[in-house]
Amino acid sequence: MPRYQATLLIELKEGILDPQGRAVEGVLKDLGHPVESVRVGKVLEVVFRAEGPLEAEAKARELAQLLANPVMETWALEALKELP
Amino acid sequence: MRWAIVRFPGSNCDEDARFALKKAGIRAEFVWHTERDLRGFDGVFLPGGFSYGDYLRAGALAAKSPVMEAVRRFAEEGRYVVGVCNGFQVLTEAGLLPGALLANLNLHFTCKEVGVRVERVDLPFTRLYGKGQVLRLPIAHAEGRYHADPETLARLEGEGRVVFRYAPLKGEADYNPNGSLHDIAGIVNEKGNVLGMMPHPERAVDGLLGGEDGLPFFLGPVREVVG
Repeated sequence: MPRYQATLLIELKEGILDPQGRAVEGVLKDLGHPVESVRVGKVLEVVFRAEGPLEAEAKARELAQLLANPVMETWALEALKELP
Repeated sequence: MRWAIVRFPGSNCDEDARFALKKAGIRAEFVWHTERDLRGFDGVFLPGGFSYGDYLRAGALAAKSPVMEAVRRFAEEGRYVVGVCNGFQVLTEAGLLPGALLANLNLHFTCKEVGVRVERVDLPFTRLYGKGQVLRLPIAHAEGRYHADPETLARLEGEGRVVFRYAPLKGEADYNPNGSLHDIAGIVNEKGNVLGMMPHPERAVDGLLGGEDGLPFFLGPVREVVG
């Protein structure tokens, strides 16, 4: 079975205050950068085996739903590639 | 009464929980997070700590551990499930309680005594308190900011499911230590048998060690059975 790598992006939902992002934003501003806002999220790179690209995508979405908390987060499948 | 205290890798309030349960006259036994059977227990206590290093999100990985399926069945059977601090985070991550606990507004790990008002006294855990009584309980967490969408919040308030709320001890204005919505410190499920809270009643059961305001919390379920 081919190997795939899924890149999952998990972010706090819009409207949920992100104090970590605020802290980073504050430091960047203190350094003089013209920054408007910063949000901090997570990137997960998951490597797994699947029969083909369709099954790999379905599996990647299933994993994202398992790993993100819908109360406070959104997720996106940023990339899916077959590994050599 | 016989309670299970679930130990996850990284739990660190398990001994405090046993001390408190024992002091209330409850037999307490440690159960490893791989356990799948909780038959024979009357209650389950999910202790504080840093289960799985708080990786991914606080409580997120513990919520998927084998014991939590047993805890879910246990809760459905109407038996007592209490989660304190990390245990509360695990309960929300497992979907046994609504909402989520986000990083404290000030981003600090906050370890101090806070005022906690008892909002309802018809639960086994709160029946020995007075309604509106303000307890002095310790908190120790970095992710304790209770969050839920407006509909969930309205429902919790409407159904009287906010059991504990942060309150001033001496009239201080900044009594909410983490930015929790509606000053929420603890909530309960619809049936009233699953309770989660950020403050630590198990760390306040001895006059020599920071007060006894937490002891009635553990005595309540016992008295209910006896009475």
